Amino acid sequence: MIRRMDAVKLDVQKLVAGYIPGHPILHGVNLKIAPGQITVVLGPNGAGKSTALRVLAGFLAAESGSVRLDGDEIVDLPTYRHIESGIALLPQGHSVFPDLTVAENIELGGWILRGDRRRLHQAVDDVFTRYPHLRDLRNKSAGSLSGGQQRTVEIARLLVSNPRVLLIDEPSVGLSPVIASQVYRELTALKAEGRTILLVDQDIRAAIRIADYIYVLNSGKNEIEGDRAAFEGDLGALVRGWLGV
Amino acid sequence: MVTTVAGIVANGILLGLVYAIAALGLSLIMGVMGIINVAHSAFIMLGSFLALGLLEWAHIDPIASFFIALPIFFVVGAVVYRLIVTRVERAHQTQGLIAMFGLMVLIENLGTIAWTTDTRVITVGYSNANLTVGPLIIADAPLIAGVLAVVLILALRLFLHSTMVGRAIRAMGQNRDAALSLGINVRRLSAIMFGLGIASAGAAGVALAMIFPFAPQTQIQWLAWAFLIVVLGGLGRVESTLVSALMVGLIQTAATAFLPFDYVYLILYVALATILSVRRQGLRGVARRAI
Ligand SMILES: Nc1ncnc2c1ncn2[C@@H]1O[C@H](COP(=O)(O)OP(=O)(O)OP(=O)(O)O)[C@@H](O)[C@H]1O
Ligand SMILES: [Mg+2]
Repeated sequence: MIRRMDAVKLDVQKLVAGYIPGHPILHGVNLKIAPGQITVVLGPNGAGKSTALRVLAGFLAAESGSVRLDGDEIVDLPTYRHIESGIALLPQGHSVFPDLTVAENIELGGWILRGDRRRLHQAVDDVFTRYPHLRDLRNKSAGSLSGGQQRTVEIARLLVSNPRVLLIDEPSVGLSPVIASQVYRELTALKAEGRTILLVDQDIRAAIRIADYIYVLNSGKNEIEGDRAAFEGDLGALVRGWLGV
Repeated sequence: MVTTVAGIVANGILLGLVYAIAALGLSLIMGVMGIINVAHSAFIMLGSFLALGLLEWAHIDPIASFFIALPIFFVVGAVVYRLIVTRVERAHQTQGLIAMFGLMVLIENLGTIAWTTDTRVITVGYSNANLTVGPLIIADAPLIAGVLAVVLILALRLFLHSTMVGRAIRAMGQNRDAALSLGINVRRLSAIMFGLGIASAGAAGVALAMIFPFAPQTQIQWLAWAFLIVVLGGLGRVESTLVSALMVGLIQTAATAFLPFDYVYLILYVALATILSVRRQGLRGVARRAI
């Protein structure tokens, strides 16, 4: 399938990466992430989805391959440079720091801004303005919040650095359907602000519903890809059958 | 009777405070980094000998040595982290254990070569002095050591809770991936945490030397003591280490007041065995949790 795209925000080519040198998990993954869109990556457990996101976030080194952001190679840059250039990752699973307060969690979202206290406080304040109910919870320990509130803290923390590219790993796992749909609505709202989103998800239906383009990875390789229309038709059934959903 | 109880409580608290700093580094390194640093007590021993050396060669009072030990052992800890821990921390946990065990044996043996196996005591003006508060008699040395311990505990707590670097260190113990994803330099902060843990071990060695005799080969007893406190208190929080250390100090002074000293160990280790079997997860389970 050939895909026409005017611009590529994040261009991943022949990415090889893993945790043990010489034993890659990703065997040459290719992804083209269009600006201002939601690109979804699906795949079975262990396919390497989270691994790919870790490389894109800059804290797992690639063995080879290329990651270009707006045309600039970033694959070997450290995490803080990725964040400075506007990429941020929401890791899989619960990722609040449970023993820190909500305010402390969110402040750490601006870790790379810590040299400029004024900017950091402004950024934190902006996030509290965006999620006013978090302001009331600011002195509670994050671990004491409900699952949905914790997810909001995680998203709020992610937004402190005002990223233009969001890497989101399985945001609805463990949430009630109501809360999960709020999370997807939030992702759509972030897209409407012009942010680019790379979403990894196990909830195939929900992810496809908000996707502009979809990749399927299996065993560290590209398997299928297509736009939403393709996946809502036969391809969707194919993938669902193959994933056993 | 009231006086006896008050005396036991006062002395138990002072002892507990010193035990708290002896265990704090072990607890924090385990809680934040998941590393069971069995070489911890070897650094306590080195701290005691630092105090002795500074006293004998430069007439520096242990109170000053306590503060001198902090930066010295911080650097030692950061170097040990870089040279040894970084090589084993991503490996299976037993590898790290063996590496740190080797380091402990090495330090102990170098210690016996340098200082022999003779038992040493530190004797300064206040070593045998007492403070009398009404009917209460408190020995000066534990009092001073206890006050120094409070200073260190407060400083560590302040650092970990009230500075952004301290909070980032706690954060990386709670969720490493999330910390990494925020650009937190886990390597550097781990070196700082390890340095702080070893710094508090060295300072604890100075404080313990003010109260107890010491020798290179007896350091292992402080490892057992520190483990006991860590397991009793759960991991990684300054407060919980403090509380369980105070409990151990109080149990010890109370038991010594009424029982032969040998029973103290018996009581404390029965308590340890009970807690470990009730928790059913042992040290590995403890080490997975974070501050
Ligand atoms: N930190 C790690 N160290 C070593 N191996 C890892 C690590 N994390 C993941 N792996 C391995 O890498 C492979 C891919 O894992 P990854 O987490 O990227 O899969 P995934 O597609 O995100 O799966 P899931 O849907 O379960 O989240 C798996 O075989 C996993 O065991
Ligand atoms: Mg995953």
